[in-house]
Amino acid sequence: MKKILVAVLTALLLFGLGQGVGAKTLKLGLDADPVSLDPHVQLSGGMLQYSHWVFDPLVRWSQDMRFEPRLALRWERINDRTMRFFLRKDVTFHSGNPFTAEDVRWTVERLKKSVDFKGLFEPFDEVKVIDDYTLDIITKKPYALLLNMATYIFPMDRKFYSGLDETGQYKDAIVKIGPSFALSHASGTGPFRVTFREQGVRTVFERFADYWDNGSPGNVTKIILTPIKEDATRVAALLSGDVDFISPVPPQDFQRIRRDKKVKLVTFPGGRIITFQLNQKRRPELADPRVRQAIVYAVNNAGIVKKIMKGTATVAAQQSPAGYAGHHPDLAPRYDLKRARELMKEAGLKNGFSATMIAPNNRYVNDEKIAEAVVSMLAKIKIKVNLKTMPKAQYWDEFDAQAADIQMIGWHSDTEDSGNFSEFLVMCPDAKTGYGQYNSGNYCNARIDELTLAAQSETNLARRAEILKEIEKILYDDAAFVPFHWQNHSYGAKKNIQVEPIVNTMNFPYLGDLVIQ
Amino acid sequence: MTIWWQRFKESYLLYSFRRDRVAMVSFGVLVFLILVGILAPLAAPFNPYDADSIDIMNSEIPPSWMEAGEKSFLLGTDIQGRDLLSTMIYGLRLSIMIGCGAVLLQALLGVMVGLAAGYLGGRVDSILMRLADIQLSFPYLMVAIFISAIFQVAFGIGRYEEMAVPLLVVIIGLAEWPVYARTVRASVLGEKNKEYVEAARVIGLSPGLIMIRHILPNTMTSVLVISTIQVANAVMSEAALSFLGLGMPVTKPSLGSLIRSGFEYIFSGSWWITLFPGFLLVILVLVINLLGDWLRDVLNPKLYKG
Repeated sequence: MKKILVAVLTALLLFGLGQGVGAKTLKLGLDADPVSLDPHVQLSGGMLQYSHWVFDPLVRWSQDMRFEPRLALRWERINDRTMRFFLRKDVTFHSGNPFTAEDVRWTVERLKKSVDFKGLFEPFDEVKVIDDYTLDIITKKPYALLLNMATYIFPMDRKFYSGLDETGQYKDAIVKIGPSFALSHASGTGPFRVTFREQGVRTVFERFADYWDNGSPGNVTKIILTPIKEDATRVAALLSGDVDFISPVPPQDFQRIRRDKKVKLVTFPGGRIITFQLNQKRRPELADPRVRQAIVYAVNNAGIVKKIMKGTATVAAQQSPAGYAGHHPDLAPRYDLKRARELMKEAGLKNGFSATMIAPNNRYVNDEKIAEAVVSMLAKIKIKVNLKTMPKAQYWDEFDAQAADIQMIGWHSDTEDSGNFSEFLVMCPDAKTGYGQYNSGNYCNARIDELTLAAQSETNLARRAEILKEIEKILYDDAAFVPFHWQNHSYGAKKNIQVEPIVNTMNFPYLGDLVIQ
Repeated sequence: MTIWWQRFKESYLLYSFRRDRVAMVSFGVLVFLILVGILAPLAAPFNPYDADSIDIMNSEIPPSWMEAGEKSFLLGTDIQGRDLLSTMIYGLRLSIMIGCGAVLLQALLGVMVGLAAGYLGGRVDSILMRLADIQLSFPYLMVAIFISAIFQVAFGIGRYEEMAVPLLVVIIGLAEWPVYARTVRASVLGEKNKEYVEAARVIGLSPGLIMIRHILPNTMTSVLVISTIQVANAVMSEAALSFLGLGMPVTKPSLGSLIRSGFEYIFSGSWWITLFPGFLLVILVLVINLLGDWLRDVLNPKLYKG
């Protein structure tokens, strides 16, 4: 009896597999799953990844940080404050409703109501619908980053989200905690629709049959997303074949994945810069640019990338990673202990001084170890550093209070633009305007302020890039901060999954274009 | 002096010690470890606290007998490029200091409270024991965060490094004294109605003298047993506190934090970072426990001379 049962089950299994030929299923293991199906509930990397799978933005970033037309076919600047977008005509939502300019207007209105997004959309004045497939986006002031912001506009299905749900709540309500229509229903224009979702357990996406982008090489028909929180478990799941694609990969397991024959490791430079800020107000020695330069010369950040980060980061000498408008190609990392000692001598501090340092120990990859390594590097130019590390929950209070002379901060630009770094990290701190809010070094240079503000309203992108590059050059010469590296994003996948073309600086793998051989 | 020495030589303590191999070996190892710890600057090949001598490019070198090992780093190096053997020796010193210091403080507080509560009874007992309950209901991490917050306001981050050891002794000592107080009180309650105590009372000895001279020695058995466990606990608590930024600074790792920092490398091949310090800690705790066991047997009057 048992044997027959086994035989029947085996036959069923084979039959089931036989049916699956041609269908490509991707089993995805991420550290977390989307908190909601409503893309406007939370501004986070995970939610934006999800948005790219189920919705489509007006424009998106390509791998080399150019704008790639998506739902907007093309765009042109009409005047300082207005950009006109021409939309695709052949697009339908998952619900079957056609996509029009009215949906874009509705989505931007909703973004301006979302607690998390409204800050980003503050410069936006209104969206004017010209006809069904043309619209104008008008900003309050001349705004250089309009296109950058358009990467955040994922048009939602206006008709699908209007009216009341069965509990009497508006379907378009943005609810952070508690039930809502948009929490469990989604209709976008994206390559995948959500067919099953149990939060924290499994989410199933299936390819949308009427997807507009016929040019996309993507051949994945089904994605099964399983959140695996533990680093070691996620890696083990990939190695044992339970999942096909994981992210992130913990640095200590890079070698293991590289060594395994069935899987591969793919990394891509990210945009988060890790720096130390040198507080000139607390420690007068640090106000001397020669001392700051000496510190930068003494810090072997290439060594940190090689030994502590195990090559999972890109050595930095400036704020903007490659591809950003302000990235200055001539600025190279400068580690030179002899030069550092000379500079200290020139500054009259041959015998050094002592300083305090704080760093988080669970915020950035290897943050505590980086800080520890810097202590011994600075000891070589006779700067005695007292280091204290703490969890992020306590760290940011201490950071804001400027409790130490040298403080660690990592920064990722929300707008994927260089200006954002300068606005928050190096402009003169000003409580009223909010500029320099995270400038705990109290570096203050009128020229930098002037250039950063000029870049904000410069709508000629070539001229703007020149301004941003000049900022980086000044900061480099002044040694305004100690740059370390940009953290890399890391992915582990089976060999037959072509991950390389779909990853990017933002860590939004475009799974719609993913090819499985 | 000579009389004391004479008495010691003829004592049962020494007699049983010399007949117990385990005790002799444990004692030898413990003395060796303590000596190495105290003489760390002489015993260790490098000074891991001298940040100047550390080079990040030396990180994660395996022990010298392995293929990629280097002669100068006998047990290899950790992630920062520190010589592991030296770091272990310095860490051992810290762990012994913190562990023993904290346990002494705990025992002192706990025994006093326990004796008073058990012997005097009544209202004193209730008040002291409720105090112990309150203290136990606070997790020690809360006590630690509280004390270190006060500390930081008073001294600032700059002096943290030099004050960390006494601070940890106080934090761990204050957090765990009720363990002693309760045990001692329980044994005092068992002892105080025995004939010898009544006899002492009848001849008019003061309560203080009775408590210390007559009851205390009879509660020592349990105190010693707890102490051996508490030393190990204190060493591990210190490692946990270090993670919260409340223990030793990362630039001065104790054995506990050295082990913890090595955990994440154990699967990726750098097993030596956590294994050797772990081994050392196990030996330290084991010999303290074995000595404690032996001492308990010796001091137990029921087993006394067979």
